Amino acid sequence: MPIPLPQITLGIGAEIIYSFVIILCSLMIYFGTKELYDLTSYKGIKYFRQAFLFFSIAYLLRFIIQFIVMSFNLHEILEIYPLVLGYFALFIFMYLSSISIFYLIYSMSWKKFKEKSKMPFIFHSIAILIALASIFFHNEIFYIGLNVLLLVSAIILVGIASYNQKHKLKKNNLLTTYLLLFIFFILNVFNILVPIFLESLKLVIYLVSLGIFLTILYKVLKKSGD
Amino acid sequence: MAKREKLEILRDTLKVIQENRNAIKPTILLRKSRMSSSRFKEYYNELIGSGLVKETTHNQDKFITLTDKGYRFLDRYKSIIEFIEEFDL
Repeated sequence: MPIPLPQITLGIGAEIIYSFVIILCSLMIYFGTKELYDLTSYKGIKYFRQAFLFFSIAYLLRFIIQFIVMSFNLHEILEIYPLVLGYFALFIFMYLSSISIFYLIYSMSWKKFKEKSKMPFIFHSIAILIALASIFFHNEIFYIGLNVLLLVSAIILVGIASYNQKHKLKKNNLLTTYLLLFIFFILNVFNILVPIFLESLKLVIYLVSLGIFLTILYKVLKKSGD
Repeated sequence: MAKREKLEILRDTLKVIQENRNAIKPTILLRKSRMSSSRFKEYYNELIGSGLVKETTHNQDKFITLTDKGYRFLDRYKSIIEFIEEFDL
């Protein structure tokens, strides 16, 4: 006998507002730093901007998936008809989610890599592999493992990037913000992969995610403004 | 002399041009920029390529001048550095 699924507590209206604010924050960060990059062609700024561009597209796609799933009373992404569309949406979503995390970490660690020109290629390749794996190993245990692995990798990479840095206090604030961003972004990803798993925590995840993006946007506007 | 970061070198070079009433001969800029000639050439090409400076000719002499973008770079330099430090870029 099938297990009855819990009711979706947040409606489409809440999803629209949440996605709109996150996408708007990401795009404001991307366009708000355009002049700084145009003037300097500085690689750190370039990767930082690209990360938020990928975040905005990932959240847009996340919203579209959520919208379809909720509108048609589906339980998960791979119930989207035709199935090939569900697989395609899952592939693109996982690719964008992974690459945005990689680029944000790389923005603060690019100076430490010797093969700088090869790194973006490596990140895109890993992101494609993660996206393909999400399709081929379609089960909840794999998704939990994948997201935990992404999170642990993010924590290790952030740790390496911050090792032996100057301005320790400022760095710690930034690292805390980034770690929270990664944790809650991965929870957002997980929420799409296994929708019922985090249903009761959805509102908390959304509120904290909004807080993190608004904090980063505030810092960007404060520092990049005239 | 401590190793200067790339953006700092670009700023210093642009400042030298600005302080010379926005027109300086390449040889004088090389001398004032405290760089080897090969390094200077590398940065000079970057400044020209990114549109921060331009070459002009006056009485058959070549001069380097700041563009509007070059002035804007100098105006925004402090906030650029603050932004890079804030996000550890």
